[in-house]
Amino acid sequence: MMEFLFQILVILLAARLLSEVSERVGMPGILGEILAGLLLGLLIVEETEAIASVAELGAIFLLFTAGYKEVHIEDLKASSKKAIVATFFQIAAAFVAGFALGRFFEFGFVESLFLAVAFSPTSIGVVVKTLLDMGYLSSKPGSMMLTSAIFDDIIGIFLLSIVVTVGKYNAFPTATQFMLLLGKLVFFIGIMVILGYRVFPYIFNYVQKMHSKESIFAAVVLIALFSAYFAEIMELDAVIGAFIGGVMLSNVPVAKINDIQSKVSGLAYGILVPIFFAHIGMAVELEALNTLGSFTILVVVLALLGKLIGGFVGAKAIGFDSYESFIFGSGVMPRAGVELVVISIGREMGIIGDEIFSAVVLMVAVSIIISPIILKFAIQKDKQKDTSTPVG
Amino acid sequence: MTVEGEFSGRQPFFEEEGLDLEEKCKDVLVRDIMITDPVTIKGEDHVEKIFDLFNKEHFHTYPVVDENGDLLGIIDQNTILQLLLTRRVSRLDHTHLMAVRSLSQSARGIMIPHPVTITSDMTLCEIAETMIKHKVERFCVVDEKKLVGIVCKSDVIQAIYSSRS
Repeated sequence: MMEFLFQILVILLAARLLSEVSERVGMPGILGEILAGLLLGLLIVEETEAIASVAELGAIFLLFTAGYKEVHIEDLKASSKKAIVATFFQIAAAFVAGFALGRFFEFGFVESLFLAVAFSPTSIGVVVKTLLDMGYLSSKPGSMMLTSAIFDDIIGIFLLSIVVTVGKYNAFPTATQFMLLLGKLVFFIGIMVILGYRVFPYIFNYVQKMHSKESIFAAVVLIALFSAYFAEIMELDAVIGAFIGGVMLSNVPVAKINDIQSKVSGLAYGILVPIFFAHIGMAVELEALNTLGSFTILVVVLALLGKLIGGFVGAKAIGFDSYESFIFGSGVMPRAGVELVVISIGREMGIIGDEIFSAVVLMVAVSIIISPIILKFAIQKDKQKDTSTPVG
Repeated sequence: MTVEGEFSGRQPFFEEEGLDLEEKCKDVLVRDIMITDPVTIKGEDHVEKIFDLFNKEHFHTYPVVDENGDLLGIIDQNTILQLLLTRRVSRLDHTHLMAVRSLSQSARGIMIPHPVTITSDMTLCEIAETMIKHKVERFCVVDEKKLVGIVCKSDVIQAIYSSRS
């Protein structure tokens, strides 16, 4: 117990401190949190089961809050078909790049599939600040990125459910198995929708009248855990359940009172999520990066290029000019959340080894650093084009 | 000043009057104390018009309604401040939702949908309890989807205070 307390104390302290340093130098806090884990892993802290369990809760709450705070079902209805085309291209290109790379280096089919899925999502939050600073949020590619990011989350979760199932069979599922997976996913979502629209509002109506302390907050946390557990029962992954549970709660007014939102956010981003990111850092094996040097470099380069080229082609396909397409492509490059969840699940299932795990973490770190820089460059190019165009 | 000195001189409020007040509050309904004609924002109103409203009036929150008077959402001072100074928002809140909101030109796009609402037949006691327990500052009063009023903490305090006499 004493050891566990010490470990949590050290991990959380280091993660919070380096997260602050990271923010101060203009980078997202996640970078500092991963680095904190990396340093601690090298220096003192041994990875234990207890820490791994807390980190798993972090992954669950990372995706739960993504659904709970950030997704509005109405947004999806309002999104344009054009965005689907652009999103499809950038995800498909990254996916293919990841899979081909895995196969090229003679990793197994399932392992390559995990790599492909880890290549696919985008964390738009990383570049929002750059878009704001450059005054490009409202530009055509800027708003397309935002719409694309909404689909990205959903597609990422879908891909994750497939890859987790494939991981369980350790082979590509037969048509029957695939239909069974789809059936389970549809059944799970169906039950969650019924709960979200019929049961949760009723429960919260009762919960808000309860006398026990923090009843609403506790109910939100319980629903996060229930959704995660229910997904596990259905042989999906806990994080998928947590995300869908979060989305279902996003329309329940009582569950979204400001006070409750800030408590959920505090639990997630103040404690659990930093531990998850630090735990990712702790699991990185620097030696593994060295042994397969060219593989590591290619993971970083192809993951970034896959998105850049895929985004460029996708944006071109819907009528953007080359500059705008370049902006769109560089804007969808960053990875910071779901991809880390994907590889930590793969690692936990014993499917992906240290080489892929460590290379993907490095790729995430590089993408966080480099994406805003490339995006800035792309925007400057676009601005130069506008000023050099003769007026009239 | 001693602790004793600070707390002496008045009988604890809740011991006598408090119990009596609770009984009285049970008889007061939301419809008796709510503001029945709150300033509202229409779903299609332009953001500039909303900024102007927040500049001129000093309410914390405005309900957003559609052409039938059905409540769509709310817009509060926090939302406006975030929109005016989007770049100062913490990086954690740089979600696509925030970004989408900052690009919206209409009330519908920037409002907080699904606010907590109450019905006009609830008692003063019930809503005061919720306000205390869950730190809610104000409620939109909705009967059959239609916005019929708004109640904020100061209205509740006033109503309870006037019940004393």
